[in-house]
Amino acid sequence: MRASLHRPGEDLHKRDEPSLQEAINLKLVESGEKEKLKDLLRERLIECGWKDELKAQCRAFTRKRGRSNVTIDELVRAITPKGRALVPDDVKAELLQRIRTFLLSVQF
Amino acid sequence: MATKSSSPSYRPCEHLVDYKSKHSTRGFRVLQRCIVVLPPGRPSVRTLSCEEDPVPRCASCAKSHGRLYACLVCFTISCYSSSSSHARSHALELPGHELAIDLDRAELFCCICNDQVYDADFDWVVVSLAKCTSFSNGRTAPPLNVYSRKRNRGAEYKPWEPSSKDPLVLERGAAPLGLRGLTNMGSTCFMNSVLQALLHTPPLRSYFLGHRHNKAACQSKVCLGCDMDDMFAAAFSGDRTPYSPAQFLYRRYLFLFSFLNSWWQHAANLAGYEQQDAHDFFISAVEGIHANSQQPELRKGNDAECRCIVHRVFFGLLRSDVTCTACGFTSTKNDPCVDISLDLESTALEKQIYASSSTLLGCLDRFTRPERLSSSERFFCESCQSRQEAVKQMSVRKLPVVLSFHVKRFEHSAKNYRKVDTYVQFPLSLDMACYLSSSIARLRHGNRLIFVEGKGELGGDNDSGSTSPSSEFELFAVVSHSGKLDGGHYVAYLRLGGEWYKCDDAWITRVGESVVRATQAYMLYYVQRTLSDESSTTIPERFNQHPNLVLDEKIGYTSLLADAVQA
Repeated sequence: MRASLHRPGEDLHKRDEPSLQEAINLKLVESGEKEKLKDLLRERLIECGWKDELKAQCRAFTRKRGRSNVTIDELVRAITPKGRALVPDDVKAELLQRIRTFLLSVQF
Repeated sequence: MATKSSSPSYRPCEHLVDYKSKHSTRGFRVLQRCIVVLPPGRPSVRTLSCEEDPVPRCASCAKSHGRLYACLVCFTISCYSSSSSHARSHALELPGHELAIDLDRAELFCCICNDQVYDADFDWVVVSLAKCTSFSNGRTAPPLNVYSRKRNRGAEYKPWEPSSKDPLVLERGAAPLGLRGLTNMGSTCFMNSVLQALLHTPPLRSYFLGHRHNKAACQSKVCLGCDMDDMFAAAFSGDRTPYSPAQFLYRRYLFLFSFLNSWWQHAANLAGYEQQDAHDFFISAVEGIHANSQQPELRKGNDAECRCIVHRVFFGLLRSDVTCTACGFTSTKNDPCVDISLDLESTALEKQIYASSSTLLGCLDRFTRPERLSSSERFFCESCQSRQEAVKQMSVRKLPVVLSFHVKRFEHSAKNYRKVDTYVQFPLSLDMACYLSSSIARLRHGNRLIFVEGKGELGGDNDSGSTSPSSEFELFAVVSHSGKLDGGHYVAYLRLGGEWYKCDDAWITRVGESVVRATQAYMLYYVQRTLSDESSTTIPERFNQHPNLVLDEKIGYTSLLADAVQA
């Protein structure tokens, strides 16, 4: 059993033209910026109470359906739109600003 | 959601049971090598990245965002979404490959049941890894309860019962929180006195006690912020039993040393064991905390824009108006300042006109007076387009949350090396209204001009004034210097719970207000009245009634360094 989690070979030909989104993502990951952004986002979402709010929503959903009747898939499907809607605007703005600044700094 | 995998009601799905029976823990142990624990204690799966493509991708569709799962048997990475799931197709194609691990969260997932599954052996693997992970700055991941399913969230919930020591602490705890002596480590009273003032600066106290500086996530090895955090935690730990000073003295010695160490590393030019200037230390400590601010997106090189904690707490704006005597054109500049330095000396002429500089208000009057610039200091007037004689006037454009005054007692110039011992009288409550730019300008224009620039003067975090600030301040700390220029001594006086406490290195004594008023103030710390704990003038009842507290009673901290070394 190989410890490597990378499967080389067959996929390469499928990725000839990276989309803009992919290229940006790559840049972010390479430089380690994505990790920092994720940490920043986590911190902000905890600060503004988003995490607690979502936790409560998840609990409510699970309680309504019964614990053994919920799969993670259903939970994610139900909660995701609420989660997205609840993100405060200033958090979005801050993250976007960060990404913009980063992209400018790497001369994208 | 307690220990799901070990609770009796949880039943693993058939696929998990199947997998365990075939592979038992072999797969988990292989995975152990791939799991990394990122700060602050989150396990995640690190894939081996190759140069062209550091991002893990689905083997079927090359998608790299969203949820990615790695099959536990063949380690194929597949994407998963409710609409199209390559992870699921992989599991359907290859029986026995139903189990996968979420790359981002290191959680087990069954692709056929479409749900997360839990296994005690797997949890063990992840948790034991987290336990021995230490981050680059020597701080370990927070300890995890091995038997708890809640790997990322620290200790399990336990209802709290007071221990036998707790009622004792509450009884003896009549002395204010956070009051704790600081040992002198060789002429370090300059540092101790300023630290005492910082420890009791209300917004700074809230910041550090609220763990706004996250030590676990701190990148720097030597961080003034982390050491401040340690110091606050120790000072407010409530640990100050006077009868066993040795054990916590040693710890105090340790963290005080680390604070010194990091400060010295930061202010290399000030290092050394000689007596330093407390004001210099204050400035460099503020700079150090700013430099180690953990929110680099808030930290700006520009003093006017930076929103780090020390900037938000201490920085105000001083306005300087230079008026041309010929045409009356005024040039205005706003400069951020961390404190206001006040001159003590005044010329004979000034003594006649202004209140003597032996009061703080007198010094402020002098500070904001219109000063005629000498002919050698003529400035270039834009409207006259020539150099003209001018009158300069200072005023406060924006008040900080914590207003600190520095009385310039020490002169270290080439010709003079001396200390000015003049006594300066200072009020306990201070109203800065008449020193604001709006008031000064109004006076200057003889009340004829309606000053529109007045908004935002009263400080607060944004100029819209939503925090209803005022120009009233309350004194909460005094740093005073006694003795000669070399070999003098600094002490700090703190105002807590309506009482004054003298902090003389490791010795804390309660003193009367008259003692504080009579002291030779070097630095004065005022906080906005709305944030002050002391704005009510009534002394809390319990202090009056407590049998042990009498005036000047030593609260009992020893400063025996010998003990510390032996401990």
